Amino acid sequence: MTLGPAWPALLGLLLAGYFVLAGLDYGVQMLTPRFGRDDRERRALLNAFGPFFLGNEVWLVVAAGVLFGAFPFLEGRLLPGMYFLFAAILAAIAVGNAAVQLRGHHRGASARRLWDGLIFLGGLVPAAGWGLVTGRLLAGVPLDARNAFSLGPADLVHPFVLLCSATTTAVFVAHGASFLAWRTGGEPGARAARAGRRALLVAAVAAAAVIVAGFLSSARHALVNAWPALVAGVALVVVLLVAAALLRAGHPGRAFCATSCAAALPVVALGAGLHPFALVSSSAPGTGLRLAETMAEAGTLRILAGFAVVLVPLLVISQAWNWWLFRDRAGRTPMHL
Amino acid sequence: MTDEALARLQFATTAGFHWLFVMLTLGLAPLIAVMHTRHALGGAPLMERMTRFWGQIYVVNYVLGIVTGLVMEFQFGLAWSGLADYAGNVFGAPLALETIVAFFAESTFLGMWIFGWGKLPKAVHVTLIWLVTLTAYASAYWIMVANGFLQHPVGHEVRGGVARLVDFGAMLTNPNAINALVHAATAALMTGGVFVAGVSSYHFLKRTAEREFFRASLRLGLFVAAPAASVALYYGFVQIPTLVDTQPMKAATLQGHVDDIGSLRVEDVQAQLVQRFGAGDYRPPSWIATAFDVMQDTGYLIFLLVVVALVLLHRDRYLRFRPAAYLMLVAIPLPFVAAFGGWLLREVGRQPWLVYGELTTAAARSPVGSMTASLVLFCGVFLALAVADWALIARYARRGPADTDLGGSPSDGQADRPAASLAL
Repeated sequence: MTLGPAWPALLGLLLAGYFVLAGLDYGVQMLTPRFGRDDRERRALLNAFGPFFLGNEVWLVVAAGVLFGAFPFLEGRLLPGMYFLFAAILAAIAVGNAAVQLRGHHRGASARRLWDGLIFLGGLVPAAGWGLVTGRLLAGVPLDARNAFSLGPADLVHPFVLLCSATTTAVFVAHGASFLAWRTGGEPGARAARAGRRALLVAAVAAAAVIVAGFLSSARHALVNAWPALVAGVALVVVLLVAAALLRAGHPGRAFCATSCAAALPVVALGAGLHPFALVSSSAPGTGLRLAETMAEAGTLRILAGFAVVLVPLLVISQAWNWWLFRDRAGRTPMHL
Repeated sequence: MTDEALARLQFATTAGFHWLFVMLTLGLAPLIAVMHTRHALGGAPLMERMTRFWGQIYVVNYVLGIVTGLVMEFQFGLAWSGLADYAGNVFGAPLALETIVAFFAESTFLGMWIFGWGKLPKAVHVTLIWLVTLTAYASAYWIMVANGFLQHPVGHEVRGGVARLVDFGAMLTNPNAINALVHAATAALMTGGVFVAGVSSYHFLKRTAEREFFRASLRLGLFVAAPAASVALYYGFVQIPTLVDTQPMKAATLQGHVDDIGSLRVEDVQAQLVQRFGAGDYRPPSWIATAFDVMQDTGYLIFLLVVVALVLLHRDRYLRFRPAAYLMLVAIPLPFVAAFGGWLLREVGRQPWLVYGELTTAAARSPVGSMTASLVLFCGVFLALAVADWALIARYARRGPADTDLGGSPSDGQADRPAASLAL
């Protein structure tokens, strides 16, 4: 029981979970400093995701664990290849994560303003950074004969890659806003809905621009499956517009479901666009590192599968339980952030 | 500094900061679980206040544990891709299981515990802190299995230059992992106990109003720290014979600093290793013997302090004898010093190997050029966050249970207002 085809699906699920859940954190983090009018409002905004915050961020940890356990030969190429990008994303996540949790412990206004700045940065850098990673993976990386690569700054200054980054940033802002519109009521909830609609329109335009740039730039040649990737891109635009309409119609809960789909779609685009490759070459179209070559051997996967079959459902259930317990709108749960 | 030295320093900084916080996390979690359980069973208000006060410190400390842990998870892949190329089939499994079995669940349950005050039924709430404790120790187990493989690779065979897992059971019961786990886990418990006793002593010295509160805390801390310290010492020595068998060079470097290593000499082992692996310098830096001394001497000192304090508990002499309280307060950092020495011995003492006898650190480094920029970035971030975090811990510890936020009112002193302006 190696569940061979199931491993890419599991990795995709965990990454999608990370994009959806941490994406809302990053969105709220980017919105909080300016959106909250005074300190009390800013605290309330952070506490809207409070009970879920620690659980949201660890989807990245478990995705990295599965990447290392089941796809060790991808991990050893991907992370060093994008070394400085990953280092920046991780440092920013560390700063933002600590800032969200430590802010409330400081009483002073200036200390809290400093943490607010770091909270914003800790949302912006990962949101933009994961867009750069996604864009670069879709457009291919400069693989050498050993299927290794090393990105320089010039590889990121590419219209397609930059537009992907703008898209994830706008999608996460919109996702965070629709979460706030859903979790908080009253006037701030209405304000969140208005900000969410604006962000959704920006995100939809950015996503459409990604599709156009994909056709006009060199990215088109690298992409193995252009049509599935295009479908994912079009679906993203549609979902974003639907979410904007739902927010307008006063259905923040449904809008949040729609933005959750939008946050997960970059992962879908990666899987659909690159299959059966994990990394594609930007210089030699149609070649690359196949996902199957990057997986651990059967014996290791069998052991991991034994654990994963039992534990991954338990993990999902534990987080579902968490959301169920704290399903009340913000303000009815204690504030700890 | 060479690029390899920079990469090693970056890993050591991440791991070092991580352990400084994780050690206290592991040490405090069971104590808090015990307090919370006693509160839930007996309904004692004192126990509830203790749970909140120590739980508050635990939660603030946890912040740095999780953010450094997150970066730690990626360090292997970022800076040491040769490890994945060589041992990805073997080494990745315990790391993956650590995230699936432990890290994920620990964080999820802790978030629920923090926000569950006054919301969850007592039984559920107490269960959550026990789950947090259990998963924290499960995490330590899987990490030590992974680290044990690097120290003493078992359960695999090498075909075509790539390691393959053949005996998972051998990996899970690797003596180099299990003995070190018991050593590190009991050292962490000792750290938690000494921390609680030390902070309590501060309040005796300051003659704060919370005498009963800190008397109960002190007793619990010492009752845990004393047995934990003795087991930690014992499992330090238990590891020596394993070291002689599996890492003779590290053992030989300790010649003259510890008994039980027979007639091993660095020059002889060097000659043997040259014969076995070809020309090269297989000697770790000799200062790891000093690291060993620091660990061992500090360990004895802590043990002595804790035992004396335990004796003084009789008829509350401890509370009247101020020098004891001073010593215990000063002792708070000692377990961290000992742990630092211990990890330097274990990790630097493995040099030049990443996987002992199979893969050198030089061969495993990722081809990413100089890591100066990322080293400065991570060092700066961790140091700044750690200082901010420790300052908060010190503030909560100093101000005592009256000023605890966890489970109580919001910290901006606006408890009388509605909890959130965004409420329905």
